[in-house]
Amino acid sequence: MICRLDYKVPGGKLLRVSVDVDEGIATRVRVAGDFFAHPESAFDEAEAGLSGLSAADLPEAAKRAFSRPDLALYGLEAKDIAEALRLALVQSAKQGS
Amino acid sequence: MKIRLVNDAAAGGSGSRGVPGALNMGIDQTVLEEVSAGKALPTLRLYHWAPSCVTLGYFQSMAEEIDLAACAGRGIDAVRRITGGGAVFHDAEVTYSLVVPEGSPLAPDDIMASYGLVCEGLVRGLRGLGIDAVFAPINDIQAGGRKVSGNAQTRKQGCLLQHGTVLLDLDLETMFSILRVPAEKLKDKLVQDARARVTSLRGLLGREVGFDEAAAALAAGFAEAWSGLGVELEEGHLTERELANARRLAAEKYSTRDWNLKR
Repeated sequence: MICRLDYKVPGGKLLRVSVDVDEGIATRVRVAGDFFAHPESAFDEAEAGLSGLSAADLPEAAKRAFSRPDLALYGLEAKDIAEALRLALVQSAKQGS
Repeated sequence: MKIRLVNDAAAGGSGSRGVPGALNMGIDQTVLEEVSAGKALPTLRLYHWAPSCVTLGYFQSMAEEIDLAACAGRGIDAVRRITGGGAVFHDAEVTYSLVVPEGSPLAPDDIMASYGLVCEGLVRGLRGLGIDAVFAPINDIQAGGRKVSGNAQTRKQGCLLQHGTVLLDLDLETMFSILRVPAEKLKDKLVQDARARVTSLRGLLGREVGFDEAAAALAAGFAEAWSGLGVELEEGHLTERELANARRLAAEKYSTRDWNLKR
């Protein structure tokens, strides 16, 4: 199942998240949008580290991963990514039932 | 600090008519690598695009943002940038790219502060054309409350790279024909909204402003804004090595699906 959601950060950028979920595991997580993150490689690493986690743990894990001290986000915060992922998962769960 | 000024208009030859997006992005990266390695002076390049091109922010999804079939049908290129931010349709505009080492007067650690220092050159340049422009943080320049320039920065290999655009004219219909929008029926509304938020030199001055005139005004604006920081612009050109490396990057990176469709 692929969970997608567009999430407008209040006063900020547009996040477009997508999570592939297979038997409760987030096998692929993508956080896209028109934001800035420095350095970009730290964002890519944080994002890549989310694949393979339990979907239930994903929002909290994302909040931690994108809060790493060597990553600066502009136009969004780690908690916004967590919220977008949470809503994406909730929405697909509703549609799936 | 001396900064090499590379003006595609002044260069004559093919560059004066603009180059494809993949090559423009290849040149930006090459200059970054050369400056990082100490092989080139910090560099400010003024350029444009042929054919027209839509560039995508580093973190954006190509499939979600761009209608590639529409691009192909209209002969418009689509390329992912190494900088974040949003999709930009490069048509009638002056584009600049600045590469300076981190820690130099234009590249303090504070990224927001460096946007201000670099954008001040654009503001002065626009004022030189008679436009009351102001820097609108994080990364826009506005005139009369409307955006006339967007800018994007990255830090790599110990350097700041910032590129951005100043719009000479606006073609919102074409722009929205290649951008994916949430619903087709919203397209007219989006064009209307954009018309209220975005403007161009033509819109502001009520006359056509060509690349050469705008590029000269911007170069003068940068020189004026940065002279107080001890920066001196020195006209120069890209070396054969830089051009060769840029062509390689255009072919091996910026034209590839691996890069352009990576998100």
